[in-house]
Amino acid sequence: MSGAPAVRISIESASEKQVQEVGLDGSETYLQPLSMSQNLARLAQRIDFSQGSGSEEDEPPPGAQPRDWAAPGDAEDEEGLVKFQPSLWPWDSVRNNLRGALTEMCVLYDVLSIVKDKKFMTLDPVVQDPLPPKQNPQTLQLISKKKSLAGAAQILLKGAERLSKSVAENQENKRQRDFNSELLRLRQHWKLRKVGDKILGDLSYRSAGSLFPHHGTFEVIKNTDIDLDKKIPEDYCPLDVQIPSDLEGSAYIKVSIQKQAPDIGDLGTVNLFKRPLPKSKPGAPHWQTKLEAAQNVLLCKEIFAQLSREAVQIKSQIPHIVVKNQIISQPFPGLQLSISLCHSSNDKKSQKAASEKQSPEDHLYVLEHNLHQLIREFHKQTLSSTMMPHPASAPFGHKRMRMAGPQAFDKNDISSLQPNEGLLEKIIKQAKHIFLRRRTARTIDSLASRIEDPQIQAHWSNINDVYESSVKVLITSQGYEQICKSIQLQLNIGIEQIRVVHRDGRVITLSHQEQELQDFLLSQMSQHQVHAVQQLAKVMGWHVLSFSNHVGLGPVESIGNASAITVASPSGDYAISVRNGPESGSKVMVQFPRCQCKDLPKSDVLQDSKWNHLRGPFKEVQWNKMEGRNFVYKLELLMAALTPC
Amino acid sequence: MGVTCVSQMPVAEGKSVQQTVEILTRKLELLGAEKQGTFCVDCETYHTAASTMGNQGQAGKLMYVMHNSEYPLSCFALFENGPCLIADANFDVLMVKLKGFFQNAKANKIESRGTRYQYCDFLVKVGTVTMGPSARGISVEVEYCPCVVANDCWNLLMEFMQSFMGNHTPGNPSVFGNKHDNIYSPGDTMAQYMELFNKIRKQQQVPVAGIR
Repeated sequence: MSGAPAVRISIESASEKQVQEVGLDGSETYLQPLSMSQNLARLAQRIDFSQGSGSEEDEPPPGAQPRDWAAPGDAEDEEGLVKFQPSLWPWDSVRNNLRGALTEMCVLYDVLSIVKDKKFMTLDPVVQDPLPPKQNPQTLQLISKKKSLAGAAQILLKGAERLSKSVAENQENKRQRDFNSELLRLRQHWKLRKVGDKILGDLSYRSAGSLFPHHGTFEVIKNTDIDLDKKIPEDYCPLDVQIPSDLEGSAYIKVSIQKQAPDIGDLGTVNLFKRPLPKSKPGAPHWQTKLEAAQNVLLCKEIFAQLSREAVQIKSQIPHIVVKNQIISQPFPGLQLSISLCHSSNDKKSQKAASEKQSPEDHLYVLEHNLHQLIREFHKQTLSSTMMPHPASAPFGHKRMRMAGPQAFDKNDISSLQPNEGLLEKIIKQAKHIFLRRRTARTIDSLASRIEDPQIQAHWSNINDVYESSVKVLITSQGYEQICKSIQLQLNIGIEQIRVVHRDGRVITLSHQEQELQDFLLSQMSQHQVHAVQQLAKVMGWHVLSFSNHVGLGPVESIGNASAITVASPSGDYAISVRNGPESGSKVMVQFPRCQCKDLPKSDVLQDSKWNHLRGPFKEVQWNKMEGRNFVYKLELLMAALTPC
Repeated sequence: MGVTCVSQMPVAEGKSVQQTVEILTRKLELLGAEKQGTFCVDCETYHTAASTMGNQGQAGKLMYVMHNSEYPLSCFALFENGPCLIADANFDVLMVKLKGFFQNAKANKIESRGTRYQYCDFLVKVGTVTMGPSARGISVEVEYCPCVVANDCWNLLMEFMQSFMGNHTPGNPSVFGNKHDNIYSPGDTMAQYMELFNKIRKQQQVPVAGIR
């Protein structure tokens, strides 16, 4: 603190007097402040003794403590003085309370002192429930046990009931859930829509571009109301589908080629043999197989409908016949292509018919497959024709068709753009090709097996077009493959004709007739022999004197021409002449020098011995008596015999 | 598609247009040409509308919209000496919409109709050119189908034309000359037709003007 004199600060309350009222003229009337004793009395009146005595642990608020202490002190002081004051005296209540408390304390003190002596009063714990009198304890036990058991049983029964109820509910729920999950799986594969309270599905190929008018709708059925007591079958499925009755069962398109026309009574009654239903794939649901089968039936029906429509529309030289479920066409004379729709429903009748006749099937599986492929292509075409995106101003149609205008396509280009071939025409062309290929193979094979010398080999190409395939034909002699390679033919088998390409580039076109090919091959084989002699002569050192593929002399062959060759030995003494015709066979002649001919009459003109070196007449060799396994080998032996060592 | 030459055949002395056409077709048939239906080439003229022209001094260009039955899906629009536009058949509808810019001169419609002949690799079309109701001339179109390079087959074409047109064989068409890549296109055929039609129009206009 500094030495400066302390500053006195006087503090007084801001408003000493409470305002009682404010007059209209603004004058305030104050309450007279309470005097000291009045204030004390007011405070004492506020003391609540009941609060303090009711609970001993009650603590007075800290602020009130000094006053509480003061108050009893004051009360003690003034007790004697104001004893006889009327009850209005402010300390009256305080005094009454204190007196009551004192009385109670005295009583408590008396009681405690008496209890302490233990003469007249003791303190005992209080027994609340005295036990009932015990009578016949055995019976009682039995009854009570019975009772408790019954109670337990009831509880158990109730629980069991509740459990069974919940199990049933659970199963019901589960089935419901299974139906929904099955429905979900169904929706992943098939188009579904809700009509009224039914769920309808679409198994047609319309969304894939099919124009077949069949609606192809199936209905989804909830199959949950089965008897719970019976055993649930293993393949039970809560979801079932109902397909239209005309799509039930199984169907397939049968394509076959027959040689002769069948009896007219046979037409249109292709026997329907029942194929076993395709086994469902493990894991695939029951409805999937069912729907797939139905869809297959629908597709087969569409193919057949398309084919029969075309068969009626297309004008061909020999009209196509459509009878019931069969289309008959004649690709080649004497040959019949039959396409039939076999649809077997699951009823007994067709099964019986199937068991009657189980003829070996002459299916052309390739064509059946191709038919399916063609119809899918057709679908795709219709789908792509309205393909988006598409210029707003351009006409609808194929893209190339759209470009035809701006690129100024002429008539030929445009007609080549337009699909002008139907399913039937394509399939007939394919059938023709297949037939021609088979017949060619058979012709070559039969020739190869019939004729041992020369040998004929056919190398078929593995990869073919549907309308064209090729085969390479080699004609060789056994043991002389290396030197006799002159005849190599490439046969391009088309739809109606066979184009033969020679090794030297000549092209010969043969028709579908079997005989033509056979004759051609025979003539080639006969030429081969002569070619082989030519090659052999080169190897052996003989000289070719003359060679002709087509000889104009001698007997006329019915097939092709005979060919001939004449070769002379290295020394020139001998000559061999070979004539080989496809029909007449081979004829081999040997020319000897004059000197070796004994029976030759002595001529007067040829006196000089030098003329003996001239060659004499030809003598035929008895070819079938020659040794050797084939023609070329025999000739080699002959040449060797005629060549002096 | 090949190289085409379009030319005009004068009407023979003392004969009508119809008779001259008959003489020609008979010659072709004697040659061994095969009749293959009919053909039609038409040409409409459009003026550039006055409202769109910038300068007064600039003459309005003429645009020709042509169709050819040989190219049935196409529509050709040509300016004289100018570009050739090939569009699809919807172009006609577009021209109706462009009325404000191009006005159709209906009276100037000219077309050539006749018979189409095929003789081996050659296509011959002999047509009567008509403008309104009257026949005004004869058009002869010869196409050599296997070739697209004009200079390579011009001599062959000419020799063939000489065989039935005699001394009326035309000279080298102007479109052959100003092609830089030598590849012949359908637009060139239409340009030749346009030139031919213009020539025929002018021929007719001169006497008319003289009368006035």
